[in-house]
Amino acid sequence: MRTVLKVVDNSGAKKVMCIQALKGKKGARLGDTIIASVKEAMPNGKVKKGKVVYGVVVRAAMQRGRCDGSEVKFDDNAVVLVDKQGQPIGTRVFGPVPHELRQKKHVKILTLAEHIA
Amino acid sequence: MKKNSTMVYHSIYLEKKRLEIRMLKSVGHNFYTLFLSLFDQLVLGNCVLLVNLRRMRLEKCWFCSSTVYPGHGIQFVRNDAKIFRFCRSKCHKNFKMKRNPRKVKWTKAYRRLHGKDMTQDSTFEFERKRNRPERYDRNLAENTLKAIKKIDKIRSDRASDHIKNRLKTSKVQRQKEARKQLELGIHLVKAPLALAQDSSLCLPKIKVNVSQAQTEENQPMED
Repeated sequence: MRTVLKVVDNSGAKKVMCIQALKGKKGARLGDTIIASVKEAMPNGKVKKGKVVYGVVVRAAMQRGRCDGSEVKFDDNAVVLVDKQGQPIGTRVFGPVPHELRQKKHVKILTLAEHIA
Repeated sequence: MKKNSTMVYHSIYLEKKRLEIRMLKSVGHNFYTLFLSLFDQLVLGNCVLLVNLRRMRLEKCWFCSSTVYPGHGIQFVRNDAKIFRFCRSKCHKNFKMKRNPRKVKWTKAYRRLHGKDMTQDSTFEFERKRNRPERYDRNLAENTLKAIKKIDKIRSDRASDHIKNRLKTSKVQRQKEARKQLELGIHLVKAPLALAQDSSLCLPKIKVNVSQAQTEENQPMED
């Protein structure tokens, strides 16, 4: 809640603020979906400021444990906007994304990504 | 170190490709990635090929260059997609402090840069990162395990030799300093009278009379 995340696709939004984590009692982590409110947007984009959107967290500064026991963490908190079905709204994704998304079935985001960490 | 001429070895030679060797180090998840160049003179025994059962790899810590075993350490992904792996929080914290490992004395980077540790050796050629998985063959796996042991031993021997050679010069210096100290401080261990008699820098020789040896016959005990 209230976490401002960077939007790393070309959907038009720049910053979103998390208003609800869809899963997890303690909040959303890397790879989870959130409901967010667009706080900052590009003037002509698909998404406008004030819109409520769904997003998938693709980078989190908080480390997340991997199945081999190691932990990964990223430099910032970033999100990719998706629709209710989980398909990304934008057509490009910037920066590295974790391969935890594969397990969460966000394959489309993985294919758009430039680098999978 | 005989060059073994099995069929597999030959076929690999004929293929003229670089091979990646990953293998089970022991029971468990640990894998060790080796590289065998066909043109390397130090090939030991058979070439070994093994396919990786799982995506597990022994990584190197970015800061101190020690191995990061699976289940340890933290992986930090920067936004330019560069991955930094750390073996423990010590290295991670140093990284966050923006320290340069080449200036931090206890890291391998520093030691290699300043010539403290061995830098160039053919044994390092065996351990290189390759991304091609190989087909599993039990014999080859066994042989590579043996090879790893041997290569390790050779490498550590050479490394310790390197360090020994580096420290050789200090022994001469230490002896010089000890001699000087003895000259200055001889009055602490040798009485001045003895020094006057015998002005060498050694401790005075004390003569002890050794008693005559007992005869073989049994001496009657005193009543």
